Amino acid sequence: MCSGGLSRLCEASFVRFDQVWFRYARRAQWTLRAVELSVEPGQAVVVLGRNGAGKSTLLQLAAGVLRPVRGAVRDRPAVVGWVPERFPADQPFTAEQYLRIMAAMRGASGVARWMDRLKLTEHRGTRLADLSKGTAQKVGLAQALLTPPGLLVLDEPWEGLDSGARDLVPEIVAEVTAAGGSVLISDHRGEVARLMEAACWTVAEQSVRAEVPAPGSDHVVVEVAVRRADADRTVARLRADGYDVLGTRQEDPR
Amino acid sequence: MIALARMRLNAYAKGGRVWPPAIATVVLLGIMYGGGVGPPAPTFGYAALVLFPVIAWQSKLVLDAEPDVQRRLARVSVGAPREALAGIACALVAGLAVSAAAVVVPLPLLLAREPAPGRPTMTTGTAAGVLAHLLMIPAAVAVGALASRAVTRAAGNGVAVLVSGVVLIIVLGLHGSVAPWLAPPIMAMSRSLAAPVFPSAGAFLLLCGWAVAWCAVAFTAYAVVRRSRT
Repeated sequence: MCSGGLSRLCEASFVRFDQVWFRYARRAQWTLRAVELSVEPGQAVVVLGRNGAGKSTLLQLAAGVLRPVRGAVRDRPAVVGWVPERFPADQPFTAEQYLRIMAAMRGASGVARWMDRLKLTEHRGTRLADLSKGTAQKVGLAQALLTPPGLLVLDEPWEGLDSGARDLVPEIVAEVTAAGGSVLISDHRGEVARLMEAACWTVAEQSVRAEVPAPGSDHVVVEVAVRRADADRTVARLRADGYDVLGTRQEDPR
Repeated sequence: MIALARMRLNAYAKGGRVWPPAIATVVLLGIMYGGGVGPPAPTFGYAALVLFPVIAWQSKLVLDAEPDVQRRLARVSVGAPREALAGIACALVAGLAVSAAAVVVPLPLLLAREPAPGRPTMTTGTAAGVLAHLLMIPAAVAVGALASRAVTRAAGNGVAVLVSGVVLIIVLGLHGSVAPWLAPPIMAMSRSLAAPVFPSAGAFLLLCGWAVAWCAVAFTAYAVVRRSRT
């Protein structure tokens, strides 16, 4: 029986995409074709790609939400935590009631601990529909972690989170991988900078390409804050100097 | 699975979707029993037939009560078979509640009636009526499940499947139908209970077998579609 923190896992296994093909309707175009990749135990993978490229589809196939039209996702661990891109807040439960139900569904405990860690305690009696987008996202994160996951699938987990909670995501990812679990995480905001050890998969033109960083790579990610008016000029200058600009975003409100 | 079923019934009740079929049930029971009741067997058989569309509709509402993403979260949490099974269990429980009301409400009126000579006793008639409801509920739940959003995806498709399914089942069950076996024996059961000669045990067994076979096909179709539609 698994219980307690993320330090202990029930199992750890390779999650393998074995020639996975997927499309949403019989006559529709393929969203993903012949995906042949795997995630090792203890590995975090960041999935990158433009909007509509198929990142969420890939993550949902990994989590078992979607079923491949051809091929299979093999050796998926028994415990999968999935954080959807948009938390389904249109439900007649309070945050605490919801997490307790999800915990009962998984036979898990530790609701109070996760509520405390994600600073949800003050919202325990608030109805899901009345939560802010970021707080609802935290509830979504908490439900995925109630049982230590063998595979944690995070679909744009930073979306709507405040700066404090954004820092918590890499922390949780590190805990899951340290415990032998695998993590798949999609990102379009450039927050990937926070996951320096993660491998990268790029989804484009219906296929997925793995870009595993070379061992001993001496590249690091440096975050630089500039005045809004100078942003375009700075990006252009950095690119001209040969630097790879990963993205720009609004500065965190302090 | 029990936690998931409770969550869904809670969402159905608290979300307000419980009221339209509940009001429809009260209105239909008022119409059926307001002017007095006949012998128990035909009374209950007729009630089962009248409540069939209501329970089919209610089943769709129960299964559609939670957002699509929450249904997928439940699938990840408990596995696909249990997620689908929990939904069907919820719809069956809600259907049983409606049928229980339809059986309990007319009981005082039925008990006050003198049994007609040559007709089955109150106990036999009520037992046959309860059987009519028990054969109808799974069929209605199957129709509601096949019309649910997880299967039909678009709201318009769901309503079309629900309405055409209910109408087809009633039309195919009419006396003289060319393919009565395509529909569950709801009309056949109601007709048998209203017939001048009370059905034999063999006839009941045949109706039960027919209902079980129809529901097995319908629920298998639901399970097959739900494998790819989440």
